[in-house]
Amino acid sequence: MSKYGMLIDETRCTGCRGCQVACKQWNDLPGEQTRNRGTYTNPPALSAKTWNLIQYTEVETNGRAGFYFLKHACMHCEKPACASVCPVGALYKTTEGPVVYDDTKCIGCRYCMTACPFSIPTFEWGKGLLDQALIRKCNFCIDRVSNGLTPACAKTCPSKAITFGERDKLIAQGEAQIRKYPDKYVNRVYGKDEVGGTSILYLSAIPFDQLGLPRVGTTPVTALSEQVMEYTLPFAGAWAATLAGLAILFRLRNRGAQHAADDVHKEKSA
Amino acid sequence: MPQLTRRQFFQVTAAVSGSLLLPSAAQAAGGDKKFPLHKKIGEGATICPYCSCGCGLIIATDEQGHIVNVEGDPENPINRGALDPKSIAVRQLSNSPLRLKNVMYRAPGATQWEEKSWDWAMEEIAKRVKKTRDETFVRTVKVADKDVPVNRAEGFAFIGGAANNNEDCYLATKLMRTLGVVYLEHQARL
Amino acid sequence: MTNDWVDLKNADAIFVIGANPASNHPASFTWINDTRERGAKLIVVDPAFTRTAAAADLYAPIRPGTDIVFLGALMSYAIQNKLYNEEYIKAYTNALTLVNPDFKGPADLNGFFSGFNKETSAYATATWQYQTDKVKVTVKEKDASGKDVDVEKEFSVPKQAANLDDAGTVWSQLKKHYARYTPEMVERVCGTPKDQFLQVARTFCATGAPDKSGTILYAMGQTQHTVGTQNVRAMAMLQLILGNIGIPGGGVNALRGESNVQGSTDMALLFGDLPGYLGAPTDRHGDFKTYTAKFDTTSYWVNGPRFATSLLKAWYGDAAKKENDYCFNYLPKTSGNYSWISMFQAMYAGKLKGLIAMGMNPAVSGPNARMERKSLEKLDWLVVMDLFETETAGFWKAPGVDPKTVNTEVFLLPALDAMEKEGSIVTSGRRIQWRPRVAAGPGDAKTDLAILDRLAKAIKAVYAGSTDAKDRPILDLNWLYGDDPEPDVWLVAREINGYALDDVKDAAGATLLAKGALLPAFATIASAANFDAIACGNWLYAGYFAPADDGRGIWRPAARRRGQKDPGNLGLYPYWGYTWPANRHIIYNRASARPDGKPWAENKKLIWWDAEKKTWTGYDVPDFAPTKAPDAKANPAGAGLAAQSGTDAFLMKADGKGWLFAPAGLAEGPFPEHYEPVESPVTNCLSACQSNPVVKVWATDKGKPVGDNIGTSDKFPIVCTTFRLVEHWQSGTMSRTLPWLAEIQPELFVMIGAELANERGIKNGEIAKIVSARGEIKAVALVTPRMKPLTVDGKKVHMVRMPWHYGWQGLATGDVINDISPHVGDANTMIPEYKAFLVDVRKA
Repeated sequence: MSKYGMLIDETRCTGCRGCQVACKQWNDLPGEQTRNRGTYTNPPALSAKTWNLIQYTEVETNGRAGFYFLKHACMHCEKPACASVCPVGALYKTTEGPVVYDDTKCIGCRYCMTACPFSIPTFEWGKGLLDQALIRKCNFCIDRVSNGLTPACAKTCPSKAITFGERDKLIAQGEAQIRKYPDKYVNRVYGKDEVGGTSILYLSAIPFDQLGLPRVGTTPVTALSEQVMEYTLPFAGAWAATLAGLAILFRLRNRGAQHAADDVHKEKSA
Repeated sequence: MPQLTRRQFFQVTAAVSGSLLLPSAAQAAGGDKKFPLHKKIGEGATICPYCSCGCGLIIATDEQGHIVNVEGDPENPINRGALDPKSIAVRQLSNSPLRLKNVMYRAPGATQWEEKSWDWAMEEIAKRVKKTRDETFVRTVKVADKDVPVNRAEGFAFIGGAANNNEDCYLATKLMRTLGVVYLEHQARL
Repeated sequence: MTNDWVDLKNADAIFVIGANPASNHPASFTWINDTRERGAKLIVVDPAFTRTAAAADLYAPIRPGTDIVFLGALMSYAIQNKLYNEEYIKAYTNALTLVNPDFKGPADLNGFFSGFNKETSAYATATWQYQTDKVKVTVKEKDASGKDVDVEKEFSVPKQAANLDDAGTVWSQLKKHYARYTPEMVERVCGTPKDQFLQVARTFCATGAPDKSGTILYAMGQTQHTVGTQNVRAMAMLQLILGNIGIPGGGVNALRGESNVQGSTDMALLFGDLPGYLGAPTDRHGDFKTYTAKFDTTSYWVNGPRFATSLLKAWYGDAAKKENDYCFNYLPKTSGNYSWISMFQAMYAGKLKGLIAMGMNPAVSGPNARMERKSLEKLDWLVVMDLFETETAGFWKAPGVDPKTVNTEVFLLPALDAMEKEGSIVTSGRRIQWRPRVAAGPGDAKTDLAILDRLAKAIKAVYAGSTDAKDRPILDLNWLYGDDPEPDVWLVAREINGYALDDVKDAAGATLLAKGALLPAFATIASAANFDAIACGNWLYAGYFAPADDGRGIWRPAARRRGQKDPGNLGLYPYWGYTWPANRHIIYNRASARPDGKPWAENKKLIWWDAEKKTWTGYDVPDFAPTKAPDAKANPAGAGLAAQSGTDAFLMKADGKGWLFAPAGLAEGPFPEHYEPVESPVTNCLSACQSNPVVKVWATDKGKPVGDNIGTSDKFPIVCTTFRLVEHWQSGTMSRTLPWLAEIQPELFVMIGAELANERGIKNGEIAKIVSARGEIKAVALVTPRMKPLTVDGKKVHMVRMPWHYGWQGLATGDVINDISPHVGDANTMIPEYKAFLVDVRKA
């Protein structure tokens, strides 16, 4: 069992995106160049530069408008499929709860991306052939959490929609909230049982799938992925050796992450 | 009136003591060995420049004074550590490559800016202010057949922002009214 | 705000009308959600289903520009259902005061109040006055020989009725006026379905109970109308009726838009004012005596002349002497209106040669912005102090402008941002917080303070040696803030706070303040015998920089305090920063107690009368004479607060009462009355008076492509309302330049309802054209169920909604929305009508 989790009460969220920008700020991620495509959701999807995304849903029921928000980021599964398919052990579940990722081990095979039931891990597609492109996703601010601080998203939330704490207590808290306001919530804490349980837990006023959370069942995806890996592992091993060799040659480029976040969009400043 | 230096001022306000208490969350980078903090949290407590809530910010800077981290000040009773997207983005406000670095001047009909010095600009602006003021100054107006002194410089205007500090606004209002400016407005009107 | 941000947690109902705090004041949601968790209701009335509406317990749509109908009907509902706080109304408002019997209102005069002059489009206010009683009082005076003698004098006091419903009372006039504002009228005019209005009315008016409090949150949704001031008055009146002013969780709370718009207003960066709301002198004030005679003598404003004196001492130092009216003549005197639109009209007419813009971007933010940019072309010189090259700084190379044809010289001065300089700002809740310098700035940029300081010194230099009387103010200007190498902001703070130029003594000769000491509070100015020995730049800020305890025994300049103590757990935090006035957090808080001095309810306790110690006490600083008993009688012969009684809770008003009826101060009448916006899709259902009869509509270059053009609903059938996003700020200078913010709201868009989009063949994400009588702009269409047409007076009215922030500079760009907004403003404040104007929407 994970020690920590986050309970996200989407009925308290106002879609301000403080968490989306706080994530970029703490993790030194740059802004992406975007267009307005007829929605507030921007960038369009999670990417190597965007690990936490507010997704906006507008619905109409009986002629009345509804406006709902989903904080979309890694769920930090109890039994993470991404970790189970990773041929080199770059992704792993920590005892604190976060599913984290080791840059120095990743070979860029992208199995994790296909395995994840929530389509979370993203790839640094923009990187050149000889730069080591890596997998990127929310790491639950593991450095903050393991140093006694709250994750950046949870700390910044003005409407107190995100509660960071011990996972079992958060489940109890979420269920108590549902009992207190049965008319306000869907009668279930999403993530309590999904794919065997996740560290990130949700409360919602509308069905979770309408909000954008997939129906994934309660069976851990690892049960399936481990079977698949039995067949793919030999191939992966060879691929791993090749990529690891390249990585050693080109790894130690200074990525200057700290100030990358402050650069303007390249296209515009040029 | 004698001019006070800051030191004399401290003597005047001798009862003022103690330094800004650093927020408890402020701590140096480092900590847990397995997952050390990849940067420091910050130690400079300030207030957000956007809306009027007045949220507290904690700022961390590098050796050059450039901001490397921004988060909410947990001691500030208004926001208790929370921040919206604009407040957090102040890091890019301070570090933006688009920020103006030098005095720029655009001559009549010119298609380009040219870089100038502060001394040059201030002297030139003062000359423009004087010329306009002297040409358009209204000393008196007739009210019920009596000359009433009105001391108005009607030929130029000042518009001040609503994100400036109180002290900036105070100096602006003091200087402009002394010059006789009546077209004195700012964002509160809009 | 009458109250404060954290105080929202004490509210039982939060009524948001004309604001969108989830977007524009996100920190408020910490406290809104806090009280909602305990059962409080969030009510949102807005043309669009906003992010705040998404969080609401109750949402009702409204057509832009019809708030007075909605608020008037709420008053009517509270009156008819007896939900008002009768004891509060009788004691603390002017409900019982008798009005001139000749007063007539819109119910009698088809939309007008008595006293309207058609030629001047202005009101004579004689019939709006109170009836008065003559009271004879014996006062002591000195006779010619200097002996005390008793003299009988006569004073006029407002005449009071015994009962609310007596003929001629304010209350009976109010009832009559708002009897026309029914739920049916709300449905007809506002387009709000009657059942939704009634739900709002039931929920909010329940806060009239003494143990409940309700707050109203508003912003520019109320002010940016030709009836903006009356909108705000309507909210204040509703809150007085419900007894919601002065109590925790109550109040009329303006959610101000910028980090220091409260402070910049306090410092009077507005033509008609002087720091601390003293009011700028006009050409009717030929000397200081005439000027100071404008202050009420039966309210706390009796101290106005003293505050004005200390201001002049701060500005002109030793040159300001009693003999020369403290240099009062140095101040410019206005003749008429010099506000924003007037200023740009004067500029357009070529009367203005120069403009200095400090952190302002009128090329984007001004109404009818195309015309305002054209005005900039007529300037000889323009100085812009800013962080970035704004649209205003670069107006000469705007899209479609040939720089060679623009002869304006432009000086662009690089300024430092908030983190890169030191000074104070004030929250919407009047809390002053000090900011130290915490980051380095770019290149050769300077603080605004340093720029103004250099400018002042340079101007003093070019005028040095002048013997012309008109230049005397410049030479005598007291400007000593150091230059090592920059001015010392602490010295500016000291001057604003106020300090003693000499030993300050009271009437008995006791020293109140030693020479050089900082002023602890404005009360010292009020009680000093030699008050002209005090220099104070803004009396409201007296004490903000004086040493004060932070609740832990640590003393520091009050605005820099970080103490955490919170007496009463109401969220007042009196040791954090400094709240003007006098560190008072909820103003008019005398009204938090019953007339007898006891709290209305234990759960709403704020201040109360301690009969034993004969003093007011409690959690907040009393907004009242500290030792005046609840049963104290008014002394008509007394000056200032002595002329007010122990229940006169509104001590800044001449009669000490909250004004349900405004006998003075408003251009269009003592009660808010509904008038349609200048551009409206319908005719006024309430009277034959279509729009605000005293509003000024300019007609410069009418009919030309760039001019003061007003549209009609046959050509422009759709109501456009502007709004702000959480992701951007104002004209976008400080947000469209930041990649993280540009990423999340990259382009100008227009919110269009599905039905209208379908009618016009516009699909979501396509480009739409939005056309008004001022011109045309393009934007991405956001087709959404959050915008819906309303049925107004039997007619379907569509609305579109556009964010305010975009321009052609920066990373996130778009057309300037204000290119299509009109050059018309509120009749009292001249705030432009950005929130309701007519457009058409077409496929681009």
